[in-house]
Amino acid sequence: MTTITTKKPFEEVLGALKRVNKIAIVSCGSCAAMCQTGGTEGAKEMTEKLEKEGFTITIAIVSDEVCDNRVMIKDLRKIDEEIQESDAILNLSCGNGAQSILKVLSRKYPLKPVFSANDTQFIGMTERIGRFHQRCLGCGDCLLNETGGICPITTCAKALMNGPCGGMVDGKCEVGNYEKDCGWVLIYNRLKDLGQLENFSKLREPRDWSESGHQREVVWR
Amino acid sequence: MTEVKTYSKLGEAIAKGEFILTGELEPEKTTDLSHTIHEAKEMAPYVIAANVTDSPLGIVTINSMAATHLIQKAAGLECVWQMTVRDVNKLGIAGMIMGAHALGIRNVLSLTGDHTALGDMPESKPVFDLDSTTLIKLVREMVDKGTINGNEIDAPPTLHVGAAANPNAEPMGAEILKIGRKAEAGCEFIQTQVVYDLDRTIEFLTEIKKYKVPILLGIFPMKSYGMAKGFDTFVPGVSVPKEILAKWKSVKKEVTDKKRQKELYDQYNYEFFKPFITELRKKNLLAGVHCMAVHYPRIFPKLDSIING
Repeated sequence: MTTITTKKPFEEVLGALKRVNKIAIVSCGSCAAMCQTGGTEGAKEMTEKLEKEGFTITIAIVSDEVCDNRVMIKDLRKIDEEIQESDAILNLSCGNGAQSILKVLSRKYPLKPVFSANDTQFIGMTERIGRFHQRCLGCGDCLLNETGGICPITTCAKALMNGPCGGMVDGKCEVGNYEKDCGWVLIYNRLKDLGQLENFSKLREPRDWSESGHQREVVWR
Repeated sequence: MTEVKTYSKLGEAIAKGEFILTGELEPEKTTDLSHTIHEAKEMAPYVIAANVTDSPLGIVTINSMAATHLIQKAAGLECVWQMTVRDVNKLGIAGMIMGAHALGIRNVLSLTGDHTALGDMPESKPVFDLDSTTLIKLVREMVDKGTINGNEIDAPPTLHVGAAANPNAEPMGAEILKIGRKAEAGCEFIQTQVVYDLDRTIEFLTEIKKYKVPILLGIFPMKSYGMAKGFDTFVPGVSVPKEILAKWKSVKKEVTDKKRQKELYDQYNYEFFKPFITELRKKNLLAGVHCMAVHYPRIFPKLDSIING
């Protein structure tokens, strides 16, 4: 599983950094490295570009997993002097990474801004470097056992529980000019091949949103 | 045998087994419904009810519940309120169902709705909290049990709920099983997507007969060549046969007199749909016909003569 990120336009990053001069760069060595939005190369490239714009880069580090608070505590402690000296941190990872840095710094540097150079797209499946697919939304209530292993929440443009809808034509979806497969037809064909059409016939209740969508947590007690 | 409860003229006619004709009205991006009301009045002598569309193709129009109420009031024609699950969540829809009843609406057609991405506000959040099947179930719970999520409604609504079906859908097997789910959810009638292929329609209707839901056949008589061409190009999942397009095109090209053009279009529609409908009726596959040709009310006397003449 990879958190897929893409680079924000550089102008947008510059816009976010307009009130700062000294910057510490924290780049991620896992997902963002694979997406070429972080890692060693990303840190180097961002350092050069920002220096060309007149910024001072106090330090640029590559961390194993920026989203892991434990890794951040360890890595940020090592560069505490540079953090102190910097006006802001620039994060080259995902949205979780940015907030992990913020959380770890919050006690000692509550007002130190953390900016992001990337947009987080989705939890991704990797076909090859440079081609990633969204096949899981992390919805918290997995239907795959009943749908032949194909997720209707991500493959159906409407995330329907009882598809296909009237926007399906010859197995293709109305969204995107009939270029993408209809998720529910994929599910139908798969269940038909597996001899499990009873799962397709089943009337499914609407998704239960009561437990999802607000600062979800998994806590072992 | 349990007595079937009816709440509307449409529900009553279906329960009695009358062969019925329904029409369709498409309010536009306006607050002035006078044009739609005029069309409603023109078709009123021939139809038992008319559907009122809910921002088709995701292009925003006046709210369909408000339009349904106003058309019923001004034209004296019973309507079928089309409700898509695209724009409102479950909580909102439950409130609208009670509101619709309070406004005198007694029929609702449960639809998924064309995706917001297709329309003129593609940046809108697509909701789809319910789908067209679970909306049917919600209506039936509110009407039959007088509850929402098990909580009692003081004065429950009474509406008949219908569903859509697409005989053109490929793979057909998936569509058939989907209709099974809608029947299980409690849909009381079905209006099909527009059909032009008789053999396919017979195959599909024969397959879904087992669900015992009355079927109204969706037809789209074409008012002009432009309408036929537009329908063929822009409506998802519907293709107008090439020979029809060619025939309609010849009227446009070869006939200069506008009055004669109209007569020919009307006549050709009659000639195409008469054997089509007659054949399906003979096979006992239909409870009626749903004419989706919006802005073409002058065709209804012809349809009436197919059905009753």
